[in-house]
Amino acid sequence: MKALRTLGLLALLALVLVFPVLLSPNNAVTDMAIFTLIYAMAATGWNIFSGYTGYISIGHAVYFGLGAYTMALACQHWNFPGGYLPFLLLPLAALVAGVFAIPLGFLALRVRRYAFAVTTIALMFIFQLLAYNLRGITNGSNGVFLPQPPWSADVFDLPFYYVTLALLLVSLGLSWRVRHSKYGLGLLAIRDDEDRAFGLGVKTGSYKLVAYVVSALFAGMAGAIFAYFIGIIYPQFTFDPIVDVNITTIAFLGGLGTLAGPLVGAVLVVPLQQYLTVEFGGESLNLVLFGAFLLVIFLVLPRGIVPSLQGKWSAWKATRAKAVRLSSAASKEQAVLAERRERL
Amino acid sequence: MSLIIEGVVLGIMTGGIYALMASGLTLIFGVLEIINVAQGILVVLGAYFSFWLGQHFHIDLFLGLLIIMPAMFGLGVLLEWAFIRRLRWDRITLSILVTYAIALIIEGVLGFVFTTNFQELHAWYIDAAVPIFGFFVNDVYIIAFILSVVLLGALYLLVYRTSFGRRLRASMQNRTAASLVGIDVPRVQAITFGIGVSLAGAGGVAFGATNAFNPASSYDLIYRLLVIIILGGMGSLSGSLVASLVLVIIGDVVALVWSPVWSSTVFFVLLVALLLFRPQGLFGRMGGRKQ
Amino acid sequence: MNGRVPKKYLFVVGAVLCTLLLGACAGQSSTTNTSAPTGPIKIGADASLTGDASDDGKAIKQGYELWADYVNHHGGLLGHQVQMIVYDDATRPEQATLNYQKLINVDKAAFVLGPFDDAFTVNGAQVAKKYGYAFVQGTGTSPGDFTHGLTNMFSVSLSASRYMASLVNYILSLPADMRPKTAAYVTSDDGFTSAQVTPVIPQLEAGGVKTVLNKIYPAENTDLNPIAAAVAASHADVAILGTSALSECVSYLKVFKTQRYNPKILIATSGPDQGSSFTQAVGGAKGAEGILVANGGWWPTIKTYQNADFVSAFTQKYGGTADDISSDTVQAFSVGQVLQQAVNQVQSLDNAKVISALHQGTFNSLQGPVKFTSDGQNQLALPYLFQWQNGSLIPVYPQGQAQANLEYPKPAWSS
Repeated sequence: MKALRTLGLLALLALVLVFPVLLSPNNAVTDMAIFTLIYAMAATGWNIFSGYTGYISIGHAVYFGLGAYTMALACQHWNFPGGYLPFLLLPLAALVAGVFAIPLGFLALRVRRYAFAVTTIALMFIFQLLAYNLRGITNGSNGVFLPQPPWSADVFDLPFYYVTLALLLVSLGLSWRVRHSKYGLGLLAIRDDEDRAFGLGVKTGSYKLVAYVVSALFAGMAGAIFAYFIGIIYPQFTFDPIVDVNITTIAFLGGLGTLAGPLVGAVLVVPLQQYLTVEFGGESLNLVLFGAFLLVIFLVLPRGIVPSLQGKWSAWKATRAKAVRLSSAASKEQAVLAERRERL
Repeated sequence: MSLIIEGVVLGIMTGGIYALMASGLTLIFGVLEIINVAQGILVVLGAYFSFWLGQHFHIDLFLGLLIIMPAMFGLGVLLEWAFIRRLRWDRITLSILVTYAIALIIEGVLGFVFTTNFQELHAWYIDAAVPIFGFFVNDVYIIAFILSVVLLGALYLLVYRTSFGRRLRASMQNRTAASLVGIDVPRVQAITFGIGVSLAGAGGVAFGATNAFNPASSYDLIYRLLVIIILGGMGSLSGSLVASLVLVIIGDVVALVWSPVWSSTVFFVLLVALLLFRPQGLFGRMGGRKQ
Repeated sequence: MNGRVPKKYLFVVGAVLCTLLLGACAGQSSTTNTSAPTGPIKIGADASLTGDASDDGKAIKQGYELWADYVNHHGGLLGHQVQMIVYDDATRPEQATLNYQKLINVDKAAFVLGPFDDAFTVNGAQVAKKYGYAFVQGTGTSPGDFTHGLTNMFSVSLSASRYMASLVNYILSLPADMRPKTAAYVTSDDGFTSAQVTPVIPQLEAGGVKTVLNKIYPAENTDLNPIAAAVAASHADVAILGTSALSECVSYLKVFKTQRYNPKILIATSGPDQGSSFTQAVGGAKGAEGILVANGGWWPTIKTYQNADFVSAFTQKYGGTADDISSDTVQAFSVGQVLQQAVNQVQSLDNAKVISALHQGTFNSLQGPVKFTSDGQNQLALPYLFQWQNGSLIPVYPQGQAQANLEYPKPAWSS
């Protein structure tokens, strides 16, 4: 079983690595893939906090925006030329996002669960308004321009793709480590029953804050890459509630608190949304179709795609095991007895 | 000084309209324990409904309420039965997602049918105004405000003075206990959702009479409404009323006296500040567990 | 660590395959049409057809499609029929980027044209630049747009910072006893509007017009009532409104009307130029009377290149009258005109050649003559002052082009 798993993993990795070069039919599709990866990374990071602790943060775009503006303003002030150099600013974007996350997270985590969600939205809007109004720093509605890399059109997307992919793998790895650690167990305990976890000695306050800050790091980097890729940023498109909604939808669709959930969610949501807008956007039908899609998924697979399918798989396996046991019984009588035992 | 008075008066008028829209949202949370993110688009739907009635049948926008409110009530009951009732696991978060999906669908349909151009509700008295304190207030605002007051009053009577209201409050306090004493909780829930949606529709008429709107207006609305009910305390009707007035008045006064640039920021900063000291909002109930 | 892990990856593999499938589907379009010299050629653009700017987005789309029809009826572009594709970006930057990528890579468009929003104009020009495409546009005129070294971007319309020059000239030309004494300036913090309004302030102050109100508000601010009330309360003689959309302008006017605020001069940067959409929203021709708007030089009866044809083609295709035409449609059509002339000048569909033709040549459009500076601005565009008089939007200044005298002061609101 383990060999099969490793093989599957390697095959997947190989597929994803060669995608832009060998499999993608054109640059538009690679672009779509890059946006998918950006959102997947942001959602995986988000999941480390919201998925594992159960505190749904609907205002994570604040870190997306902070990362984007850090990248843009740093490039401007230090006169970074386009090219590979700005990628080195990604850790800085993460750092800035993380630094802001400490006081913001501390504030937000003082309230109860559903109030927490709205508090995060409020914080996000405060920053959006600050981005508009502190014109001296952010240039307000005029936006900030980022340097353009000099690469030719054929290979332009590749560095973005691979950098984002690398960061996505880092976030996945971190998420996996957290999940299988004692710390992660503490987070899940908080999700299930916080007061009891606290009573049992879990340091709920610091656990939640740490997870919150970690998730902010990835949202910040996602925003920074987004900014660099698009080339020009504005307050309303970076401190953007739509980004919030997308991240949340992706994670929920895929399965909150699972490893592969945000991935599956991103891979479904981003291309679907963009495809629908292109084909049906003019008449607003893209919204109807996308909404219907979401509705069906949420009603039929309420826990998200990955956990629900996992559940069905386990159930199917259990039924098969039972059938195997029954058929291998030496005689019919034994089969009947086995059946009776099963039912008990 | 007169500017402040103007801000306060304007704020009271607009605040009343927001209170109407928010009341449905907080009621739905109180009884069904779900967050109806579609409330924003349902308000816009009410506005479009009124627009449509005005365009094709020349029905006055406030009289049209007699048609709109029952129709929206029916829609609400239908939505509750079809979708909300099925939510079992992790109701609160799933309700956000499902109502969000419903909101997208409604937004798309509205955009398809009416296009995304901004519309306004017209009436022959739309520009008539009454002088108050040295400035003028549109008749429409006054009528919309009176409408809000009347409906909120009726709601209050319904919730606190009728037997249905008693059943509703019982379901709000403790669903299990309520059903144990024989209250048909699912029925109460369906009716409450219907009431909430119909209030949204009425709010839509008031909103559309005083603002230009298009399907995308729902986003701004829902954020404000969510902030209002959190500030007021989720499930508390008086809370949503007070919160609406407080937020809108402060926003308008800040805009007039200091700068419009900061009025929204003040809005949000106050919310965050309040929640730090009173996480349950102004009138919310202090729950026992952190859940 | 349990046996469930393999399935996770199976799902992810499945999901990746889904992406490839979806991507392939989205990528599928006409496969054989490159810049083949015999078939129809595609020209594409992106526009915000849904969202806040959808009025403008639709007007742009109409302009482009009208131009394509016109070209096709008159021999095509170098003999080729033109197929116009306009994608919606739902006001999302990722979508705008993707749309232009799709137009260039998948639809293999011969040329791409500009969107409405300034934000997406720069975005689109960058994408086009990567592939060596020209980017002719009619609506990205904020000063910021021209500072990014986009040598492939050409704005056929008047640059924002010069829009109000005629208003300033008019006011300063009035004798001192007739001149307005006070002015209120409010503008959205949008590159386009603030670029128009801010230069005016020192110029009018130098002419003795006192500033009684000067407020800038965030572009995304939806509640304009307090600001409008402040303008009304200021009782300024001149009200200069930096609005970025029709809905904003209408919000102001409603409040002014209610508060019985009658400025002698009322000008808005966006709204009064939207033809019948504007008059309908303000209660007909009476409501629009006397309102000014600055413009890069178009009115229905102006004798510019192909204008008579344009107006009749518009009314034929979309109904209504010439007064219904929005300036966005005019700008979009002008973009097409300039592109066509550049292509004809070098007799080629090659973008590099067209770009150099655009840099060097002089062109004609509905909005007058066009010649580009090195950073892509139209140096020949003249600022006009337009005013609604008796249901028509007519030029009133400069005198040489005026169809009537500027109505001063603006008549009071009638109920």
